[in-house]
Amino acid sequence: MTRAVVATGLGAVGPWGVGVEALAGCLAQGATRPVVVDRSAGYHAPGGARTALTASGLDLSALVPPASARRMSPPARFAVAALRLALADAGLANADHERTGIVVGTAFGPAFVTEQLLIQLLRQGPEAASPAAFTESVASASAAQMAMAVGARGPNLAITQRETSDLAALAEGARLVATGAAERVLVAAVDEMIPLLHAVLDRFRALARPGADGAEVARPFDRRRDGFLAAEGAAVVVLEAEPDALGRGARPLARLAGVVRGFDASAPAWDWGTGSGPLAATLARGLRRAGVAPGSIDLVVSGASGARRGDRLEAGVLTTLFGQRLPAVVAPKGTVGEPGGAHLAAALLAASGRAIGPTRGFEEPDPELGLRPSVAEKLPAPRRTLVSALASGGAATWVVLDAPEPSPARAV
Amino acid sequence: MSGEPVAVTGLGAVSGFGWGVEELWRGVLSGASAIRDFHRFDHTGYRTHVASEVPDGPALDPEAGGPRLTLADRFALVAAAEALAGARLPERLEGAAAGLFFGSSTGGMFESEQFFAQLVGRPRRAPIGLLSAQQPCGPGDAVARAHGVTGPVETIASACASATLALGAALDALRSGEIELALAGGSDSLCRLTFGGFNALRAVDERPCRPFRRERAGMSIGEGAAVLVLESRARAERRGAPVLAWLAGVGASCDAHHMTSPDPQGEGISRAVAAALADAGLAPAAIDFVNLHGTGTPANDSAEARMLARIFGARAPALPATSTKGCVGHFLGAAGAVEALVTVLCLEHGLVHPTPGEGTLDPGLGVDLVVGAPRALPAARRALSTNLAFGGANAACVLLHPEAA
Repeated sequence: MTRAVVATGLGAVGPWGVGVEALAGCLAQGATRPVVVDRSAGYHAPGGARTALTASGLDLSALVPPASARRMSPPARFAVAALRLALADAGLANADHERTGIVVGTAFGPAFVTEQLLIQLLRQGPEAASPAAFTESVASASAAQMAMAVGARGPNLAITQRETSDLAALAEGARLVATGAAERVLVAAVDEMIPLLHAVLDRFRALARPGADGAEVARPFDRRRDGFLAAEGAAVVVLEAEPDALGRGARPLARLAGVVRGFDASAPAWDWGTGSGPLAATLARGLRRAGVAPGSIDLVVSGASGARRGDRLEAGVLTTLFGQRLPAVVAPKGTVGEPGGAHLAAALLAASGRAIGPTRGFEEPDPELGLRPSVAEKLPAPRRTLVSALASGGAATWVVLDAPEPSPARAV
Repeated sequence: MSGEPVAVTGLGAVSGFGWGVEELWRGVLSGASAIRDFHRFDHTGYRTHVASEVPDGPALDPEAGGPRLTLADRFALVAAAEALAGARLPERLEGAAAGLFFGSSTGGMFESEQFFAQLVGRPRRAPIGLLSAQQPCGPGDAVARAHGVTGPVETIASACASATLALGAALDALRSGEIELALAGGSDSLCRLTFGGFNALRAVDERPCRPFRRERAGMSIGEGAAVLVLESRARAERRGAPVLAWLAGVGASCDAHHMTSPDPQGEGISRAVAAALADAGLAPAAIDFVNLHGTGTPANDSAEARMLARIFGARAPALPATSTKGCVGHFLGAAGAVEALVTVLCLEHGLVHPTPGEGTLDPGLGVDLVVGAPRALPAARRALSTNLAFGGANAACVLLHPEAA
């Protein structure tokens, strides 16, 4: 049994604020406020990246009551807040969730409580360890908190697949809806950015370094790119079977026209590989299976982040797939960084016809890449969007999103 | 709403009994437990001093496969190589439409702890290489890399239900035609975070765990990996592959009840079991034995007993049941994989392995636990395996004898 799947709701919280409109505003204006990361723990190597896009000052109390927020790790709070927004957006704020599934994608899991637990265990001994910190330290804690917040009793799982965790979660959520294992699925992409993680990423030289003016700029596909912007936050997407959604008069944001997953075995554990040819072949085969002609794609929302090797791999895959007929490519991570769900949310916004701004940070083409991302402030609304996310370590996910059919409900 | 079964054509395992499926099978049949004193790290000051530790082996040599591989990577790589060889498949899978679906709870956490301990003391000297495969996806990615997997590669990190959920993801990917072959399994190594966490929760038994016994007082942590080669029926038949069993259905649910305690009425796990049976197109009466999650915590075992009563009704007290955790401890993110693998072996040999553990069976539970010696069930054709996780995530799978599909 396979059912067509549509996205009917979107919620997001992050460094830009609370709600999808705040994200859309940030993408349109490019207004982000990097925060200087606390180095007092001594984790950082000298020099290197100083800032991150953090969401620690957000007031989420209207979405996550403080009494329950106290029992949650920061990423669980982000996820539950985004969940409330997404359900409201879908018109499901008061729905029954007996058969609702939850799929969370997280690159790093609950880093803060994990760090706390390690400090307790390694410095103070086993008796100092907090049982509550342990239960909140598992990667699936956000999925459990989301389920408890709304009584979602369907399948519940968390996926950790680095930079492709968001789209991998969307893919699994779509599977659960398509097979009927769940009536609907709430897909979350969530992460937090803490000084320890920032320091570790910087030691791997993964983060954008300060330029001559001191600013750290992620430059997707730019010749001078030297890393990504560390970020945090959450996005939640509501997935339903198309007949269910239309039957209840919902207005889909997008229809999932295809999911393709692949792996680049040339990647080392800690970086991207060079297997753009085989990845492009996997993508081409998957699109064929889904009945999606590359020529029918008129926008690519790329997961390129400013990573040196990651963007090269991404460019290689796109230029191999599309050849001379490359559609407009926009890389929102130049504005919103990663991880934290903003890439997924931006992709849904774009597919639903909203503007997501140009590829910020891109100025100088890299002759090695043969790809120039779009710097247009506004592109025509796409009919078909390809969303990509290639992970360090080798995994890759692509999702094809179609603009929603004009429906009778929409016309009313 | 049932779907096609897929063939299990290869098995690989690393456990406290040793490096291989044969070692694991001999161990679980022996009635002895691999849960004992262990040496991976200093456990002074903890409530318990037993765990099931993988014995030394050539794959633990830092030079084997490169110094950056974590323990969990090494377990996974050995198990995957054994599974592929057993399935008579080549080492490289570029030519196959292959994917990988793994469960892991902590991936390279043991190595991350060493990094972190040095970072806290002397930050500039902390060797970053220890973190290169820190996340739960480390072992799965390592296997995919080693064998040239080109299709979906995904690690599910849903604590103790991870690997069974991974089997479900693999099953659907095979049924949909996205892939024809999957490496499905999981890997986790002992680490202070997990050991200390369960210690803080007072969820560990001082003695080796005693599933379904009146005296049960908690779980025992284990480590290891298990990998199953899954193939579509068409592919398995086309190449004349050895079919060891069929994976016929996977179901999942969430209690949405509590972060650590299962729903005491067993309602959540019952819904996962019902979904797995529906996916396999079977009625409860078709099930011949059950491999339970059986951690040995008072709450888990009691919730599972309630599940048996809910699903199997009057037949529950006479349904043979076992817990592999009594033998090799709790594999955490890989538990569902090693338990599915052992269930395949039980079907193949017509033998249900005994569940070690001191004490007497808890009469209040009404579970027909196999104890002491293996129980011969030569006519067994269909079995169920269950897992319950933190946060109320439940999963179950149905496996069939080769002649039952």
